[in-house]
Amino acid sequence: MGPGAQTISQYIDILAAMILVTAFLIVSSRSLTFYVRLFSLQSFFLAAVALLVAIGYGEMHILTAAILTIVVKVVAIPIVLNKITDAIKVRKEIDFTINVTVSLLICGGLVIVADSVAQPILSAQTGDTLGVSRVLPASIAMIMIGLFIMVARKKAVTQLIGLMTMENGLFLSGLAITYGMPMIVEVGIFFDILMATLILGVFMFRINRTFESISMDTLRSLRH
Amino acid sequence: MIDIAADIAGVLVQAVLALGFAPLVTGIIRKTKARLQNRQGPPILQPYLDLQKLFRKGVIIPSTASWIFRATPYILFASTLVIVLLVPTLFTPVPLHWAGDIITVVYLFALGRFFLALAGLDTGTSFGGLGSSREMSIAAIIEPAMMLAIFTVSVTAGSTNLSTIVASLSTTPASAVNPSHILAFAGLFIVTLAETGRIPVDNPATHLELTMIHEAMVLEYSGRYLALIEWASQMKLLIFLALLSNMFFPLGMATTLSPAALLVALIAIAGKTIVLAIVVAVIESTNAKLRLFRVPEFLMVAFILSLLALILYFIVGV
Amino acid sequence: MSIVLFSILLCVPLAASVYCGLETRRKRLETATWIASAITFGSSIWLAAAVLEHTTLSSPQGWFYADALSGLLALVVSGSSLVTALYSVGYFRRLAREERVSSRETRLFYALFNVFVFTMMFVLLANNLGFLWIGTEATTLGTTFLVALYDRERSLEAAWKYVIICSVGIALALFGIMLTYFSALHVVPSSANALNWSTLVSVAGQLDPAILKLAFVFILVGFGTKAGLAPMHTWKPDAYAEAPTPVSALMAAGLVNIALYALMRFHILVHRAVGGSFVSTLFIIFGLLSMGIVIPFVLMQRDYKRLLAYSSIEHVGIIVFALGIATPLAYFGALLHLVNNAIAKLLVFLSAGNIRLAYRSKIIHRVSGAATLVPFSATLFLVGMFAVTGWPPFGLFISEFTIVSAGFASGAIWESSAFIFFVTALFGGFIYYAGRMVLGPVTAMQSTGEADITTIILLTVLAVSLLVMGIWIPEPLRLLLHRAVLVFQQ
Repeated sequence: MGPGAQTISQYIDILAAMILVTAFLIVSSRSLTFYVRLFSLQSFFLAAVALLVAIGYGEMHILTAAILTIVVKVVAIPIVLNKITDAIKVRKEIDFTINVTVSLLICGGLVIVADSVAQPILSAQTGDTLGVSRVLPASIAMIMIGLFIMVARKKAVTQLIGLMTMENGLFLSGLAITYGMPMIVEVGIFFDILMATLILGVFMFRINRTFESISMDTLRSLRH
Repeated sequence: MIDIAADIAGVLVQAVLALGFAPLVTGIIRKTKARLQNRQGPPILQPYLDLQKLFRKGVIIPSTASWIFRATPYILFASTLVIVLLVPTLFTPVPLHWAGDIITVVYLFALGRFFLALAGLDTGTSFGGLGSSREMSIAAIIEPAMMLAIFTVSVTAGSTNLSTIVASLSTTPASAVNPSHILAFAGLFIVTLAETGRIPVDNPATHLELTMIHEAMVLEYSGRYLALIEWASQMKLLIFLALLSNMFFPLGMATTLSPAALLVALIAIAGKTIVLAIVVAVIESTNAKLRLFRVPEFLMVAFILSLLALILYFIVGV
Repeated sequence: MSIVLFSILLCVPLAASVYCGLETRRKRLETATWIASAITFGSSIWLAAAVLEHTTLSSPQGWFYADALSGLLALVVSGSSLVTALYSVGYFRRLAREERVSSRETRLFYALFNVFVFTMMFVLLANNLGFLWIGTEATTLGTTFLVALYDRERSLEAAWKYVIICSVGIALALFGIMLTYFSALHVVPSSANALNWSTLVSVAGQLDPAILKLAFVFILVGFGTKAGLAPMHTWKPDAYAEAPTPVSALMAAGLVNIALYALMRFHILVHRAVGGSFVSTLFIIFGLLSMGIVIPFVLMQRDYKRLLAYSSIEHVGIIVFALGIATPLAYFGALLHLVNNAIAKLLVFLSAGNIRLAYRSKIIHRVSGAATLVPFSATLFLVGMFAVTGWPPFGLFISEFTIVSAGFASGAIWESSAFIFFVTALFGGFIYYAGRMVLGPVTAMQSTGEADITTIILLTVLAVSLLVMGIWIPEPLRLLLHRAVLVFQQ
């Protein structure tokens, strides 16, 4: 790898670390607007990684995915989320099932677990290892943290953000091990994610109309 | 002989510089905060005048206080001064580099904090005990965070000796720009805010019961005792800023004792410290102090950032 | 020729959904839907015949693919959608007559129904694993609004849970697919082919077993969530209970099979690549877990639609268990059970729907004396319940018996005994509640009476075919099943 590829690899490492930090900040935050902004920032870093991979390693099909990320996840979805949280007169504070301190510690542990999941995959790479593979543990950690956010927070909007964080982690891991899937598959995945967000958004409107709030506490009537 | 003389000279220069520069940093922070709040604010040299005034004044000691109350200011001042001598500011390696490393630094901080907390309890007032307990609960999270952040850097450099760390980083500056270091810097920065009692952890200008931490412990101090304690906390701020600047941006450090190199180093350290001081002032002015039960959450973020920095070092394999 | 066939199977439901989205007159909505379903079903028969003749069909570029397994499942899914479409006609007419549904909701139902069918056919024909994923996620998105069709608190809660849990599951499955793609890239020269199932199966021996094992775990969890395999089944009772009857029926007879289809495709691939008992052990564990976990919920149930949902979970467990046994006889039993289960679920959900309309309640103890009030539906419901619990001479008895024999023959003694125990325990619960509902004095305040004659005939046909399948499997079907088993073994 020449010096150019080295710097690109460095920048990708830094960006991946920043993405992970935004995930942690989401876990530690109490404000809904902050959540949405952090998610937007996270997606921006992700698009930056994709752009670096596309331009730096010459994988042009990722360019489409990078642009889609910016359009859909950095711009469109936060706009949708903000519209929803404004229209639903929801208290902008998050309720927790697991408090911040413990959540952060658990997420720290998840990063370590993610590393052990990633090791067998990384060691199975024969031939030329991709310079971007080093972000695989971070991406798996993102998937787990996204899942954790969905479980440990009570508002419907946060579940959506947790799901989107998971999807971001998935996209990053796809980049890490295979430079992303074939273009048509990536486009299809993006379309699905966008549809899922819109559908969940519509649902939040309807839930708000019938329930008093969109806290997950109220969605407990169906038991066994 | 010449070596010993040079070492002693180096120690004296560092001590004098630290003692002299520390109040200036505090003054800069106060002035910047005032300006940001659209006030005139006290002059930058005000802390010097405050110290001078305090040294002249008499001392009042609570009747119920023991020897701890009288000894603490000296212990705190002495331990902080020793730390100053261990941290590379102008040149590396520091003359006393054989005397202690990172862990020594952390323990010296802990020593000072321990005695300060005891002194707070010693006064017998409820304010003192309140401040001490709050300080200790913050320390419980901050100390591991600080250690982890510094360990990250020391793992990169291969040693816990501060001078070795700074030396190895200054020879290979490119290695400083990696995710572990960035996260360790962020973690250490939050540790700085917590250890030196800045907003959003503690308000250094408040005397409200609800919000005091550091101020509560030193509420009963007066005269030269108070002067020593104030000076020590100013030096603590200087130490942290020096650590932040030299461990992460080790530019312009002198490796030889030539006057030119020393001048460059002086300008470099002064510049870096002033920039960081202004950053601290800006952060203080733009944030509100956290409610007390939220402080552990904020500190836990620092801990996690430091932990992440260490983990990322091993994962990303930089 | 394959292009024509694939196009019809995909485009007809899609076109119907677009039409239904724009059309407002109910008569036209109904006609469009059942005609589209009939054409799709007819095309599936054509597909099955073509597959029997040519063994495999592919589209150029290998994105779409059909073999005996696809053909069999396409028959089941399109048949189920045809039955459900015909049932919906009577069902929604009745609801409209009693003013329990708005015309907007009716239109939404028919449009989304066709979207649902389209997404299911898309999954069945996909060769590209990425398409498989996209289609499965699309089925979740397509059915969400169907589940929440009635704008009630509980429907929204059920639909929310459904979307969230299934999307999380499917996201994990995506990771598994990425890992599969990753291991394939080292072996398959062109990256365009590396996601095609047919290509992967042919090079399965060269794929890295460790990676595929990890991938399979994620895929099992992901598609297992969609199928309703325990412990990821928690969305199922809520979603099936709150959705309108035709939707629950098609989910139980169609969607479940889609998820199982995906699991089967990966089972074949990973079993070929990894060998040994890794895949089988996992399947047996999850299968038995699904069967066992259902027992307390079935024995103490208040809502008969949830009861049926738990039955669906049980049968998914049975099929997965059979796939885990992994002998040709077990595969045959699994596929036969899939067919029988679809028919039985349709029968039981749709007749329960009639009972629901008559009594206006889903609670078991509020329904009594159905035999007097709605004699035909009640009889059919009881027949269906017996069939669903594996009572001879219905088809499910044969398939379960086959599975158990295969289990004992392959040496899985404890597991097969557990299987028998679970099935027996569940039998008691289902029949007890079914009996309470059908027999006894009549409790409804007022009733809107029995369903119309077409619906009755439809359901009777289902019941009769279950009876027939218990005695004799028609030759073409048997041939198709054999060929499908061969797909497992290739």
